[in-house]
Amino acid sequence: MSAQARQLLGSLLVGLAIVAITIAIVTAKLGPGGGRDDDDERGRDRTEQRDDSGRGRGRGRGSDD
Amino acid sequence: MEDVLESLMRDNVTEVKVVLASVALALAVYQLVLIAVGYGRLRPSFLAGRVASAAHRAIGDVIALLLIVVGVACVSVHGFEDDEAVHAVAGTALLAVLTLKVAVVRRGLGMSRALPLLGGSVFALLALAWASSAGGYLGGP
Repeated sequence: MSAQARQLLGSLLVGLAIVAITIAIVTAKLGPGGGRDDDDERGRDRTEQRDDSGRGRGRGRGSDD
Repeated sequence: MEDVLESLMRDNVTEVKVVLASVALALAVYQLVLIAVGYGRLRPSFLAGRVASAAHRAIGDVIALLLIVVGVACVSVHGFEDDEAVHAVAGTALLAVLTLKVAVVRRGLGMSRALPLLGGSVFALLALAWASSAGGYLGGP
């Protein structure tokens, strides 16, 4: 394997490591219950807005159904 | 589309978007380092400029794919909401500038000298779009 190929492989592996570390940090931050506590409130608000508009465009997180 | 995404992401569309956007931002920081080496601003002994540029191009393709997925999920599930105008404008501008940058890289269009400006704009818009949504979701700024 040439020096340039080794360098390229190393650069891409660093990128892969960055991806893995970022996923680990963000998922640890989110935790099993999700992120910010008031997110369910936001989801509920969206659901209510959709219901009000009468479009019935799907489910929002944290809905009461 | 919304139902497909929610099914694929098991009703965790927001969480998946936060993870993907965060990965894109982290890779974008790495892209700044790589292109600094590519342009000769940084000269590490273990990485040649041409190799850094090639890695920058390959990782840029991955980031573009991530941003398209996040953008589609954003528009499909949340749409354009008045209370998130900054995020909507930053995200839309990000995809527009990224499209222009890819076109310049692939076709030239006589704008090759503008690539550093376009790249910096892409990074700034990505940081703004992330901070105005995922950053807040994670309890950041």
